[in-house]
Amino acid sequence: MVNEQNEKDVFVRAYTAMVLSRTFDKKIVMAQRQGRIGFYTPSIGQEATQVGLSMALDHDDVIFQYYRDVALMIHRGVPIEVILDQIMGNAEDESKGRQMPSHYTAKKYNFMSVQSPVATNLPLAVGAAYALRYQKKNTVVVATFGDGSTSTPDFHAAMNLAAVFNLPVIFLCENNGWAISLPTEKQTKVEISEKAAAYGMKGVKVDGNNFIETYRATMEAVERARSGKGPTLIDAISFRMGAHSTSDDPSKYRSQTVEEGSEKDPITVAEEQLKSLGYLNDSLIAKIKEESTKMVNDKFDIQEKIPAPEPSTMFDDVYAEKNWIIKEEEDDIL
Amino acid sequence: MVQALNSTLDHIMSGDNSVILLGEDIGKDGGVFRVTEGLQAKYGEERVIDTPLVELGIVGMSVGMSLMGVKAIPEIQFQDFIYTAFDQIINQMAKMRYRSGGGFTLPMVLRTPYGGGIKGGLYHSQSGEAYFAHTAGLVVVTPSNPYDAKGLLISSVESPDPVIFLEPKRLYRAAKIEVPDEDYRVKIGEAARPVEGDDLTIITYGAMVPTVLNTVKNNNLNADVLDLRTLLPMDVNAIISSAKKTGRVVIVHEAPRTLGMGAEISALISERAIEYLYAPILRVTGPDIPFPYRLEDYYMPNEARIMKAVKRVMEFR
Repeated sequence: MVNEQNEKDVFVRAYTAMVLSRTFDKKIVMAQRQGRIGFYTPSIGQEATQVGLSMALDHDDVIFQYYRDVALMIHRGVPIEVILDQIMGNAEDESKGRQMPSHYTAKKYNFMSVQSPVATNLPLAVGAAYALRYQKKNTVVVATFGDGSTSTPDFHAAMNLAAVFNLPVIFLCENNGWAISLPTEKQTKVEISEKAAAYGMKGVKVDGNNFIETYRATMEAVERARSGKGPTLIDAISFRMGAHSTSDDPSKYRSQTVEEGSEKDPITVAEEQLKSLGYLNDSLIAKIKEESTKMVNDKFDIQEKIPAPEPSTMFDDVYAEKNWIIKEEEDDIL
Repeated sequence: MVQALNSTLDHIMSGDNSVILLGEDIGKDGGVFRVTEGLQAKYGEERVIDTPLVELGIVGMSVGMSLMGVKAIPEIQFQDFIYTAFDQIINQMAKMRYRSGGGFTLPMVLRTPYGGGIKGGLYHSQSGEAYFAHTAGLVVVTPSNPYDAKGLLISSVESPDPVIFLEPKRLYRAAKIEVPDEDYRVKIGEAARPVEGDDLTIITYGAMVPTVLNTVKNNNLNADVLDLRTLLPMDVNAIISSAKKTGRVVIVHEAPRTLGMGAEISALISERAIEYLYAPILRVTGPDIPFPYRLEDYYMPNEARIMKAVKRVMEFR
């Protein structure tokens, strides 16, 4: 939690995580173009939302994240190596190279396992919150998702269940304006935060480009959850500055862009905020950016040398023990 | 079978505080088939949860609960209503262990009544077992009598893998046999052989088991009858050894023929024991049509249809 004594450190750490995430995303998109990795969904433009969320959470809080949450992971302390291992699908990867890039698992950091079908993580978050309350733990569960997810039956089911059971869940919509090619105004006729009212839940709209505002809104939701007052839906508005994924070309469906370094870039917003608070200056900013670049480049080169998982590992972990079918197929194929 | 399931759930809950039941009308009402009768009164609303009417939410919540160390036993009121939860079953429940590299596991048991014979029409009679048996990561079981219901339910709750527990609803109040009070287990993956014989093999499971056994008895067949009990993974050794012994195989299930369990059983035998066969492997199944209401007796495999296949297999030259 932020207080007067630690505010400078906490805010500078938040900014550093945002810069590291941005640097990382640009590196990975470039590496994909170079054929060094297969696919990626960058978080560019959503760093403030993700870091603001992370700042409000404790280590024990549980996150059911989606496939565009690298700033969230970095701020929460997940090492860059862990993220790189997943993207590369190498032998060190927690999911043993089974999932396409951006589908992380980081159990030690209470990051659950990312799925592709959107919003299917939301009912899981509700069940987890139910279990944790049953176990008398004062833990908050967070589900992150994009604006497109709000159209799904899973969103509706999870919102309703969380409200009916009054559970400590925070639904954080990383509203970046686009679900691949569909703009939010074609996704839904109402403000996403207003949907909460239909479930009997608190709904909040925040400037997701402003990490301090997102942090404060999330903190209120966390306090509500911990004090037994139930779930919250946060609609954090940002802009997807990059493509949906490295397989996507946004020029086909949108002319609107946000340039890096412009006043709508959340990192620029953070720089202005922290400069006016006297916590950052230009030389410190340059140093943070330089260190991020070096760190990402160095770690990428090291992790890139880790080989692919052994072929036999693809038959593991379907069940606790292989059944005769899988044993037979493994013997046949390998 | 209802009573066996009810007392087994009671027994499991009394011995393990981490078990939670959830589903539609399972609490105060005791479930539409009364499988959970009295359990909410005994264990409270927090452990026997009457949920809103949302199958995908019931399954999704159960996955989330199980990830946090609670053993969730969700009930889907009728298997026919499970399809909105299909995404959760196929993409979350079945894949969690694999996609987390073994880090996250789901010891949950999804119970649901299935099959016809209760005049339920299209939407209260379906046998969708093949959908689940086609999905790696799931275990699929179905008991055919109260004894196995208890033993399989205990094994399922103790299983480290997610289980789809299919309850043949036509047998809920049919077979009355004594069930021992003490704990016992029916091993997952092991078929039963309720009748032994040498002339032919009849492979079946679930609600068709009593029909097959009656047919065997009424016609004095010298048949080896296999009650699979587990549909994923099937007991391949029992299937193949019996097929080799008799050389004549009839498969009986209520689900539609096309790509049903019978297709897989037939393929397994063809691959492993074709040189032992005296006749083609025949299937007696429900037809490939939606399940009809008024004419359901024509839909369900019966003694006459089973005997027609048996005669063909026995007389094949």
